[in-house]
Amino acid sequence: MSSAPDYYMIMGVAPDADSESIRIAYRSMARRLHPDVNHNPGAATQFRDVTSAYAVLNDPIERQKYDMSRRREIGGNYFTMRVTSSQRSLALLDEPQVLYLLVELLPERARNAQQLETYLNLTLVLDHSTSMKGSRLERVKVAANQIIENLNEKDIFSIVAFSDAAEAIVRAAPLSDKPGAKARVAIMQAFGGTEIHQGLEAGMAENRRHASKRYVNHIILLTDGRTFHDEQQTLELAERAAKEGVGISAMGIGDEWNDTFLDQLASRTGGTSEYINSPLAVVRFLNERVRTLGQSYAERITVSIAPDSDIKVESAFRLQPSPQPMNAESDPVPLGALQIGGATSVLFQLQVSPLTNLGPRTLARVDVTGDILREQKIGYKVIRDMDTEVKESQTLEEPPLPIMDALNKLTMYRMQERAEHALARGDVREATKHLKNLATRLFSAGQNDLAQSALDEAQRVSSTHALSGEGQKALKYGTRLLIAPTSSAAE
Amino acid sequence: MRICPNCQYGNREGILFCEDCGQPMAGVPATATRQLNPKDLPQQVKNDLWGSAHFGTQASVILHVRDVPEPIVVQPNPRVVLGRIDLTTQSTPDLDLSPFGAQEKGVSRVHAAFERADESLMLTDLSSVNGTHLNGQRLSPNQPRVLRDGDEVRLGKLILNVYFM
Repeated sequence: MSSAPDYYMIMGVAPDADSESIRIAYRSMARRLHPDVNHNPGAATQFRDVTSAYAVLNDPIERQKYDMSRRREIGGNYFTMRVTSSQRSLALLDEPQVLYLLVELLPERARNAQQLETYLNLTLVLDHSTSMKGSRLERVKVAANQIIENLNEKDIFSIVAFSDAAEAIVRAAPLSDKPGAKARVAIMQAFGGTEIHQGLEAGMAENRRHASKRYVNHIILLTDGRTFHDEQQTLELAERAAKEGVGISAMGIGDEWNDTFLDQLASRTGGTSEYINSPLAVVRFLNERVRTLGQSYAERITVSIAPDSDIKVESAFRLQPSPQPMNAESDPVPLGALQIGGATSVLFQLQVSPLTNLGPRTLARVDVTGDILREQKIGYKVIRDMDTEVKESQTLEEPPLPIMDALNKLTMYRMQERAEHALARGDVREATKHLKNLATRLFSAGQNDLAQSALDEAQRVSSTHALSGEGQKALKYGTRLLIAPTSSAAE
Repeated sequence: MRICPNCQYGNREGILFCEDCGQPMAGVPATATRQLNPKDLPQQVKNDLWGSAHFGTQASVILHVRDVPEPIVVQPNPRVVLGRIDLTTQSTPDLDLSPFGAQEKGVSRVHAAFERADESLMLTDLSSVNGTHLNGQRLSPNQPRVLRDGDEVRLGKLILNVYFM
C-alpha cells in the first residue's frame, strides 16, 4: 500500500493546527530551507516537500479532503529514527567548528518479530574474462550453485556473464528450474576482456523485468579486472538503478580492479563494495551477501539531510549494515536496507560556519524514507528536526559513546585514505607518515596483522613511492571492516 | 582551533580525533580565539571555564581506595606512577598500591600514571595487563585522558575515586 506523505509531520505542526500556525511554520521553514538562502542539496529536496505540503494544508478544501484520507490510513510506526549529536550545544566561535550527527534506524520491535518471507529479485553479474581462468572462475561457479540451491522458488533470479560482451545465461524468472540454472553456470568459460558497463547494462535489463517495490531488487557484480573508457557511463547507469530502486553490490577479486570505481558504484545505490583477497573466499563472500539481502526488513532506505544554511555536510559514512563511504554531495543518500533485528546507521560530519548569535537555534532536518517490505508499506517517512543552543563557551562533556566509538574506528579508515591522497599528490613523506601513524593506531587497537601491513606499506612507499596493489586494498577494506560493530565477513 | 597534543596539528573545533595523526584529541574544549588569561580571572570564573576538570598548579590529588577509610594524598610534580612494588626486580612505583591488595586485584607493577598538564590532570594507562578504566570505560594504552574531580578510576579490579584539592 502506497500512502500519501504525512503533511503535518513535514510542516512540523499538529494535525489540529489552525491556518495561522501553518502559515507561520511555512514561513520559518522557508527562511531555513529556501534554495536562495540554503545551498545544501538536501535543503532543496526538503523545501520541495514542505511547499507541496503547504499547498494542500493552506487550502481549506484540499486540507479537508486530505484530512479525510489521512484518517482512513492506519497509522503506525515501522522504524524508529534516533539522531545523536556529538555536542549538545555549539560554542560562540568566530571560526568554523565541526559537529557529528549519528543517524540510527531501528525496526519497530513488535513488527520485527513477525516471520514473513522476504523475496529477492537477484541478478548476479559475473566476470568471465580471461583473467578469471582457473580457481577464480571455479569458485565463482561453486558460489553460484550454492546461491541457486539456497534461494526460494518464489525468488526471482538471473545471471549475466560478461567479458567484452554480455549474455544473460539465466533469464530473470522465479527460480523453478534449479538444475537448469546450474547447468548453465557449469558451461561458463574464461575468455575476453572486462567491460563492466556491458555486464551491468545487461544485468539491469534482467533485474528490471521483475523489479518491484515488494522485492529486494539487487545486482551483485563480481569482477577481477579494470574496465576501460566506460566508467563514467557505468556510474550513470548506477544512478538510474538507484532511482529505479535497484541496489548494486560490487565484489573485486584479487588486486587488479579499480576500487575507487567499485566503491562509487556501490555507494550510489546503497550497496556494498568488498575486497576478496583469495579465490577461496569467493563462496563465503557471495553467500554472506545473499544471506544478508534475504534478511531485509525495509529496502530502498534513503536519508536526506538539510542542515541550516550556515552548515555544510562534509562527509557521510554508513556504519551499518555494511560500512561504506557515501556520497555526501548527492541527495538523498541511498543507504540500502534495514535488516530484521539489525540497525542501519550513518555518521555525518558537518561544518558550522562562525557563529555570531547566542541562544537556541535549529541545526538540521533529517528525513528518512524507506519501503517496508513485509508490511507492503511503500515510502514510509520519518522526519527529525534537530535543534541546539549556542553558548558563550564550550560545555565540558564527553561526546556520546557511540559517536566516539564510530569515529575511533572511522579515523583509521580515513588515515589510509589520507595516505593515498598524499601519494596521489606525490607527497611521499606525508604518505609515509600517515601509514606509520595508522600502524600505531592499529597496533593499539590490537589489529596486529593490519598494523604490520601498514608498516610494510610505509616501508614500500618510502623506497618505491607507491603502494602495493594488494597492501592498498588490504588496508582500505581491512580498516573499513573494523567499523562494523560485529564484522560479519572478516578475515 | 585546537592543537593536537600528540602532533601539534591545528584541528578545527569539534574534531574528536586529530585529522593529521588520528590520535584522540585529549584535553578540554577551548574557547579558542578569544584570549582569556586564566590568571586574571577570579576562582569562580575559572571553575566555570574549566568545569570540574580544572586542576590548579598547587592542587593535589586525593585518592579514595574502595573499602579503605583513609584517603591517600599525592602531589603530581609533574608525574606519579601507580603500581605495586616488585621485590625481585626492585622496581618501585611512585605510589605503591600493595597495601591495598594490588597483587590480588591485578594491578601491574607499572600500571598507570597521573600527570599534570597545564591546569589539568591527565591519566595514562602504561600498557598494564588488566587495563585502566575511567568511569567504566577502558583506556587505550599510553593515551592520556583528562581527569575530572570525582572520577572513578579502576586499575585491574582496584577501584579508586579521584578528588582534587
